[in-house]
Amino acid sequence: MFFNSFHFAVFLPIVFVLYWFVGNKSKSTQNFLLISASYYFYAYWDWRFLFLLVFSTLLDYLSAIKIEQSTSEKQRKMWLWLCVSINLGFLGIFKYYNFFASSFGNLMADVGFKVNPILLDIILPVAISFYTFHGLSYIIDIYYKRISSEKNFIDYSLFVSYFPLLVAGPIERATHLLPQIKVKRTFDFDKSKEGIYQIIWGLVKKIVIADSCAVYANQIFDNYLSMNSLSLLLGAVYFAFQIYGDFSGYSDIALGTSKLFGINLLKNFDFPYFSRDIAEFWRKWHMSLSSWFRDYLYIPLGGSNGSMWFKVRNTFIIFLVSGFWHGANWTYLAWGLLNAIYFLPLLLLKKNRKNLSTFALGLNFESLKNTLNIIGTFTLSCLAWIFFRSKTIEDALLYIKKMTTNTTFTEQYFAIERYNYELMYLIVIFIIIEWNFRGKTEPISGKYSWIKLGLCVAAILALGVFSDSKEFIYFQF
Amino acid sequence: MIKFIRFVGKLFFILAITAFLLDVIYTTFYISSNSRTKIDYLYQSKNLQYDVVFLGSSRVANHFIPSIFNKKALKSFNFGLTRSRLEESALMLKLMIERNYKIKNLVLQVDLNINSNDHSEAIRGLFMPYLHQSETIRNHYRKIAEYNQLLYIPFYRYMHYDARIGFRELYKTVIHEKTNALEHKGFYPLIKNQRPMVAANLSKYYPKKNIGYEEIKLICKQNNIKLIAITTPMCLQTINRDYFKKIKQIYPEVYNFENAVTDQKYFSTCGHLNKLGAIEFTTKFYEAFFKNQQKN
Repeated sequence: MFFNSFHFAVFLPIVFVLYWFVGNKSKSTQNFLLISASYYFYAYWDWRFLFLLVFSTLLDYLSAIKIEQSTSEKQRKMWLWLCVSINLGFLGIFKYYNFFASSFGNLMADVGFKVNPILLDIILPVAISFYTFHGLSYIIDIYYKRISSEKNFIDYSLFVSYFPLLVAGPIERATHLLPQIKVKRTFDFDKSKEGIYQIIWGLVKKIVIADSCAVYANQIFDNYLSMNSLSLLLGAVYFAFQIYGDFSGYSDIALGTSKLFGINLLKNFDFPYFSRDIAEFWRKWHMSLSSWFRDYLYIPLGGSNGSMWFKVRNTFIIFLVSGFWHGANWTYLAWGLLNAIYFLPLLLLKKNRKNLSTFALGLNFESLKNTLNIIGTFTLSCLAWIFFRSKTIEDALLYIKKMTTNTTFTEQYFAIERYNYELMYLIVIFIIIEWNFRGKTEPISGKYSWIKLGLCVAAILALGVFSDSKEFIYFQF
Repeated sequence: MIKFIRFVGKLFFILAITAFLLDVIYTTFYISSNSRTKIDYLYQSKNLQYDVVFLGSSRVANHFIPSIFNKKALKSFNFGLTRSRLEESALMLKLMIERNYKIKNLVLQVDLNINSNDHSEAIRGLFMPYLHQSETIRNHYRKIAEYNQLLYIPFYRYMHYDARIGFRELYKTVIHEKTNALEHKGFYPLIKNQRPMVAANLSKYYPKKNIGYEEIKLICKQNNIKLIAITTPMCLQTINRDYFKKIKQIYPEVYNFENAVTDQKYFSTCGHLNKLGAIEFTTKFYEAFFKNQQKN
């Protein structure tokens, strides 16, 4: 079930009414209702994979208790590694097995050995990367005694499978979400209203920005060999806004939906395209995943302690793993590697934590510098997105080569009966709105909220893409 | 909670009002336009008299040159719509009858489009702005799955067919940006030639009894219109050219013209003639059917 579908528009009000009017007696009934709704939400896509989700939940739940009950460090470690191995094993089989097997076959063919690897004919279960990481963070926190294990299975299941975050995050932490699940939620009008605004703004980002950009970006990337430099440049920009609108729109809808049930989720985006360097970009893009990697991989690897060589090594590991987390393709690895390379000068010059403060633009030198830095960072991220979007690394390199060597910057008319530049007007308006309201979670609340709400509704109806309904990109991860 | 229910109620009110207003605005502009598509033109016209009208897909729009007929004092117009199927051709003919057209001869392309009883979503969308205004269009679409939503939910039709009648098309309509659809009396010449030419593969094509075609035959009979159903040229490299013979087996009245023009220089793509090919083909077609009907 997708957030931008008719089914969800029916499902959400039903769950809302049941939650506040029927299941409102106690925390237990609230949680039971939410977990039932969550499993229905997941099973709606493919009920068979619900067993995998329940198994993964049960595994983490029992392992956590076992770790806590263990009397020796050896036993604790054994339970930790057993749980981590099984979780990553499932992820490996479903997501990465075919990639490794076919890559191995290709490698052997390159050195003269013909190998026919056995490939599995399996579907990647939706959300497996997300709920696996949920469970891992919990089990690692238990191991390091940051939290106590959760004894109530329903409550723990809800932490893993809560439907607003189940399929594409944000990747929650037990320290943040479990305490909210453990208490009875009371209805808060202001929070719910804020949730509705956030859902509507998320829909604008998804249906108006991301899906419109997808129409153009798909046309350009799928036919890049016949495109001129201007189209290819615009294609990279359109994809940058497609993925931003898609994923941050999804996150907004998830956070807004959750607020309707009295639960706050972690913020996932903080206007990343206004970042002044790539380090700031990564503090603001998919924040829950970045912080996950920081806390559960980067820091255990030694983090920024130790020699510069260690810091560089850890940085590359983080970015490569992050790239690989997105999918089993060399293009994602190249995307991760490119971001690590972008990050390297900041790390070596110890400037990776330079841009932490908020800033405003005015008529001064500092503003000019910030503007140029924002444009520079955005350009670098667009270049990396080309790898993320392309089917192969060869395609990405050819795309970049054609973009830089074609040198024709004229308007181009696509087979989809659109000019290459048309969408830029919409993107510029979107940037202005985002810039002016970057201090808020959504631009609707505050003065003239009803007018802004009407404009958003009109934008969704009139400018949205409906005939070619698009899934959220991050569902595949 | 009551406050929240009121808030949601207001939200739905805004949604309903916005959808209604947008529907009114879009419909007003579309139904007053006559410069963007052949459907606009058809809807805005009335009481026209034609000696020859052409209907079909791009294989009509790119193949028949009305000026060749007009020069011979046979008033004609090419109503071929790229991507349309026979279902849409049937609706076009029904609309012509609704608009009180007097048609003597209808030339209908019956070849690749008889392979399926399906419709074209892209072309169906173009009829939607007139759904409330035209009883003919309403009757034609009464049995489709989403008929009630399209008719009764404000703005639903513009959202459903946003790629064809969405904001972008509205904007072009508002600024009266002309298309080439109505130039040359509906004929659109192809200039570029695909080389090397990619052969059309008809190996999965099987002609079937076609509902749209049957409807057209009936309408022509009822309105005393002479129907000339023909196949139009395909390049010689076409895989499974027997398909055209099979059409004749199902519908013996269809005239085979797929071989009327065969020289590769006349083809833009395997299924579409270029401008020279269109002149050659239209001339041959004219001579076969209309030479003796020439007015003085």
